[in-house]
Amino acid sequence: MKCEEFEAIGLERSGLRMGELDAALRHAAAEHAAQCPNCAALQESWQEARIALQALRESTRDAETPQRVEMRLRHEFGMRHRTARARSAAIFAAWALAAAAVLFAGVSWWNWKLAQTQRADVSARNAVKTNALAPAPPATYASEEETLVADNEVGNFTLLPGSLPQDVDDSAIVRVGMQRGALSALGLPVNEERVSDWIQVDLLVGQDGLPKAVRLPQSQ
Amino acid sequence: MPAANAVPGEVSIPEQDRDDVLLRRAAKGDEESFTLLYRRHQAPLYRFALRMTGNAWGAEEVVQDVFMTLMREPKKYDAARGPVGAYLFGIARNRVMKHLERLPRELSLEAHNGNGVGASEAAVNEFTPVHWAEQQERSQRVRAAVLELPAEFREAVVLCELEELSYEEAAQLSGCPIGTIRSRLHRGRALLMAKLEIFRDAPRRVSAAT
Repeated sequence: MKCEEFEAIGLERSGLRMGELDAALRHAAAEHAAQCPNCAALQESWQEARIALQALRESTRDAETPQRVEMRLRHEFGMRHRTARARSAAIFAAWALAAAAVLFAGVSWWNWKLAQTQRADVSARNAVKTNALAPAPPATYASEEETLVADNEVGNFTLLPGSLPQDVDDSAIVRVGMQRGALSALGLPVNEERVSDWIQVDLLVGQDGLPKAVRLPQSQ
Repeated sequence: MPAANAVPGEVSIPEQDRDDVLLRRAAKGDEESFTLLYRRHQAPLYRFALRMTGNAWGAEEVVQDVFMTLMREPKKYDAARGPVGAYLFGIARNRVMKHLERLPRELSLEAHNGNGVGASEAAVNEFTPVHWAEQQERSQRVRAAVLELPAEFREAVVLCELEELSYEEAAQLSGCPIGTIRSRLHRGRALLMAKLEIFRDAPRRVSAAT
């Protein structure tokens, strides 16, 4: 074995661990080292270096990250995920609030609409009752539900049951809106299929404030 | 699942304690999983960083950076590319290289392991004071010599000589071919020998060191 080979083997083959070489190579290396003082010194220096590296390895073998790093990381982890959770909760709450507001608005609108319809129905019913049964002050009656059409045209009226022809003298004609079904309350025949239709009706209201006769305007 | 396929003599890790499972749970906010993952991997990463940077502060920063990255971007880990340990080591390696680029001249000779305890003290209590002093001196010189090596040679020496990894393992962790690791180690050893001036009694013949 030559010095260059010895050196190359020492550095290449597990470097500083000559003991790991196979038997033949180790024997040749040992034989060369015995004859060459330079290579023997080189081998000795390798061994020294190996021991030194081993000492360095041992000195850091049990090294561990300081506890404060774990604490810092855990703190950061907690912060990060708490923030994320809080953000998610805030987003959820915002959406829930918006949905609740929309729902509330929808329900309110529906209730308002329902109330309007019911109010209209009640008004219509009251109007019919007022017209048919309960006498009301003529002025109020006319101002709210009725339209004064004329007071001197009495042709084409149909007398209501219980009314006499002389009752229509000095009567006033008022036009009111009512559902067709309300005509039955006045004792008139009604087409059942169209009872919910709104119609204009002229009523002949006597001095006592009660309707005496009724007619449908020409457009009806 | 692992119990059925376990090789005799191997320690099988329960499904719920596997690194990738822990990482998934940590990504969902499970602090205990993250802590377990940290405790499992911090020591080798810290030792590698300590041996590469030569100072506890730098190593501490590297380990913290590694796990902060894992915390911030857990989805970057791809199980198909290797185990979590190798992934973490890859991050640590990048951080170490950046650290070395940032502080190229920093050659701390501190002998502390980061917990405030002299790293060598515990190991040499059984020796005589003279022996202890000699070993301390030798250890300091080797530490300084290792830290003076260029980063790529230092990495090869640290992985193969200090971490005692095989060429294959070192190549895998460094992300380079085995031949590259082998040649870096060869040159690293030669440079180390030259820096240690162990050839003081022998003629300089290590061409690689010059």
